[in-house]
Amino acid sequence: MKIVKEAVAGTLESSDLLVKVAPLADDKVDLVIESEVMRQFGAQIRKVVEETLRQLGVRSGQIVIEDKGALDCAIRARVQTAVLRGAECKEMNWSALS
Amino acid sequence: MKLRRSMLFLPGANAAMLSTAFVYKPDSIMFDLEDAVSLREKDAARLLVFHALQNPAYADIETVVRINPLNTPFGLQDLEAVVRAGVDIVRLPKTDSAADVHELESHVERIERECGREVGSTKLMAAIESASGVVNALSIATSSCRMIGIALAGFDYVMDMQTERGDGTELFYARCAVLHAARVAKIDAFDVVYSDVNDEEGFLKEVELIRRLGFNGKSLINPRQIELLHNAYAPSEDDVDYAQRVIAAADKAEKEGLGVIALNGKMIDAPIVDHAKRVLQKAQASGVRK
Amino acid sequence: MSDEIVFYTTDPHANVAEGAEIRQLLAQCDLDFEESIGQFVLGRHGRSLVACAGLDGNIVKCVATAPGYRGESLSLKLMSEVIHLALECGHLHLFLYTHPKNVSFFEGCGFYELAEVPGYVSLMENTPVGIKGYCGRLQKKREPGAKIGCIVMNANPFTLGHQYLVRLAASQCDWLHLFVVREDVSRFSYRDRFALVQSGVADIPGLTLHHGSEYMVSRATFPDYFFKEKGIVGDCCTAIDLLLFREYIAPALGITHRFVGTEPFCATTRKYNNDMKHWLQAADSDAVPVTVVEVPRTACAGVPISASEVRRLLRAGDMAHVESLVPRNTLNYLTHNDYVT
Repeated sequence: MKIVKEAVAGTLESSDLLVKVAPLADDKVDLVIESEVMRQFGAQIRKVVEETLRQLGVRSGQIVIEDKGALDCAIRARVQTAVLRGAECKEMNWSALS
Repeated sequence: MKLRRSMLFLPGANAAMLSTAFVYKPDSIMFDLEDAVSLREKDAARLLVFHALQNPAYADIETVVRINPLNTPFGLQDLEAVVRAGVDIVRLPKTDSAADVHELESHVERIERECGREVGSTKLMAAIESASGVVNALSIATSSCRMIGIALAGFDYVMDMQTERGDGTELFYARCAVLHAARVAKIDAFDVVYSDVNDEEGFLKEVELIRRLGFNGKSLINPRQIELLHNAYAPSEDDVDYAQRVIAAADKAEKEGLGVIALNGKMIDAPIVDHAKRVLQKAQASGVRK
Repeated sequence: MSDEIVFYTTDPHANVAEGAEIRQLLAQCDLDFEESIGQFVLGRHGRSLVACAGLDGNIVKCVATAPGYRGESLSLKLMSEVIHLALECGHLHLFLYTHPKNVSFFEGCGFYELAEVPGYVSLMENTPVGIKGYCGRLQKKREPGAKIGCIVMNANPFTLGHQYLVRLAASQCDWLHLFVVREDVSRFSYRDRFALVQSGVADIPGLTLHHGSEYMVSRATFPDYFFKEKGIVGDCCTAIDLLLFREYIAPALGITHRFVGTEPFCATTRKYNNDMKHWLQAADSDAVPVTVVEVPRTACAGVPISASEVRRLLRAGDMAHVESLVPRNTLNYLTHNDYVT
C-alpha cells in the first residue's frame, strides 16, 4: 500500500494515540514513536506498529506517532486508519487487517 | 436464557472508552458506529470497533454493534467489518419492516460464508425508530431466526410521531407494541435510552415503569446507570425465596417422575417454573434488590 | 450525552455573533483576538462556549479554555480537533506560539519547542522530526573549511546588489551557503525568485544554493502579529527567527559568518539586520555565536542598489533605470513577464 498524501488518525486523549503519515520520496519507512509510557512499553508499541505496517504492505512513508497509553488494538486501528486514509484506499481487505 | 438488562452504548470512535468499557460489566456492550460517530470518523470508528471486538477483554461479554443503515455509504462496510471480527449481535437502526431485516440477513449470510464463520452464528436485533416500525413490530420481530431482540429508539420515533420526549405518555403505545411483538416472537425487548445521566431519580422512575411493563432491559449511555438498573431488576428476598422453593419442587417432581409439580398443595405449571428460573438468574447476577 | 462537549469549526468573520463570543472567551484568558485567523475550532457545553483555538494558515493561535473547564481532557480534545481541521485545510505541519510557561502543556499535545525568548514567547511545532529532519538534510550539504558563510535573501527580484554581496561573501569564505526565502508573499513568486538567483550566481565558485524553509524568514518564524498589539515590537519580533538560525541551521552547516547588505531604504530589513547582531552574537545561548558581517551596498550612480528600489522603478515604469540595477537574466524575466508597465 502506498502513502500518497498526508493523513492523520486518532486523538491526543488518554488511552488513544495520534498517527500522522506522509509520503516519502525515498523507499524507506521513517517511523518515529513518542509515548508517555515509552520506557515500559516502547518496544511493544514499536512491534505492534511495525507489524501493522507490514500487514498493510507499507514500504515508504514518514510515520509519526504520539501515544497516550493506548492498548494494542487501538494502536492497530489508528495506524491502519491513517495509512488507509493516506493511501486513499476505498476497497478494504478485511482479512488482511485483523 | 441470556440475561439482557443493560446494553451499554459506546461511541465507536472513542478509543479510551473502547479500551475500558469491559470493566463495567454490563450484560451487553453496544459499540455505536451510527449516530455517535461524526462523518469524518466513520472509517476510524469502524476499524477501532473491528479491533476491539477481537480484543480478548471482550471475549466474555456479549458484543453488539449498531451499524449505519444499509442505504448509507457506510452500512455495508460496517457489516463486513463486524461480522468478520466476530460480533455476537448486529443491531440494525431505523428498521421499518421485515424486508429491512431480510436484506441485512442476506448480507450477513454472504459474509459469514466468505470469512468462514458458521452460518447463522451472527445474531440480529432491530431498532424501531418510526411509526411504521412500531406498526410492523410483529413482522419485524418474527422476520428471522437470527433475531434475538427488538429495541425501541425514542428520539427519531417521537419526531416521526410529531411530538417530543416527555413523561413517557408519548411512548405508551410504542412500548406496548414492541413488547408484545417481542413476547410473541419469544425474543427480548429493550427500552429507549435515558439521556439525562445526572437525573438518577428520573432514570429509576423510568426503569420501574419499563420493568413492570415487562421489558428485558434498557439501552444505557453512561456506565453509572448500570448498577442502578441491575439493582432495580434484582428480585426481592421474598421473590428469591419463593423461586427457590418452586425450583426445588420441580426438581423433586422430575426426580420422582411425577407429571405434576406441587408446592404447598397447589399445582405449579411451566410458566411459573420459567419465571422462577429467571428470578434466580437475576439474583445470581446481581443479588437481591437493595 | 448532556455531559458532552461538542466541537465544530467556524469562520469568525462570517459569523459575527460567534466572533463576539470568541473575543469574550479570549479576553477572559488574557488573550487578544487576531484578525488574521480564518478558522476557529470551538467547543460548546450546551450553549456556552468553553474552548477555542484558531488557525492562521499552519500557525495555531488563540488557544483558550473557559475558567472552570480547564483540565487536560478538554484541551486535548480541542487540540486533536485542531490537528484534524488543519489537515483538512492542507496543513499537517503546524506551528504554535505560546508563553514559555505553557510549553509543557503543549508538549502533552504533541508539540515540541523550537526556540524560546525567555519570559516572552516560545515557538513550537507539532512533530518530533521537523527541524531535526531538516537539519539532518542540511548536514549532508556541509562543506569543509574554517570560515563558512551564509546569506539568506528574498531576492524580490535578484539585483546587481545581491550579486555583488554573494560574490564578495564567497570570496571571503571557504564556502558560502546561500538561501532563498521560500515564503510566497512577495511580488515575485518563489519559483521565479529562486530561478533568477540560480542563474545570477551560476558563475560564482564556492557556494551552495539552498531552498529556503519554514524555519527561516517565514510566516511561522516571524510572529510580528504576536507582538504588535502588545507593544513589544522590540527585539522579540525577530528573535525567534534568528535563534532558530543560530541554534539549528548554523550548527548543521557549520556556519560561522552571516552576511547582510546594509539597508538604506526598508525599515523592517534594517531592523532585522540590527537584531541579527544581538541574537546571533550577543544574546545568551547554548549555541556558538555567528559573526554578522554587514556589507555596504554597491551603488549605481551614487544610489545604493536594492530590490525595493527596483520594484519602485517598475511601478513607475522607469525601465531605463531598472536596466542599470539588475543582471541580464532578471531584466529578461521582467521584460517577458509583463512586469513592465
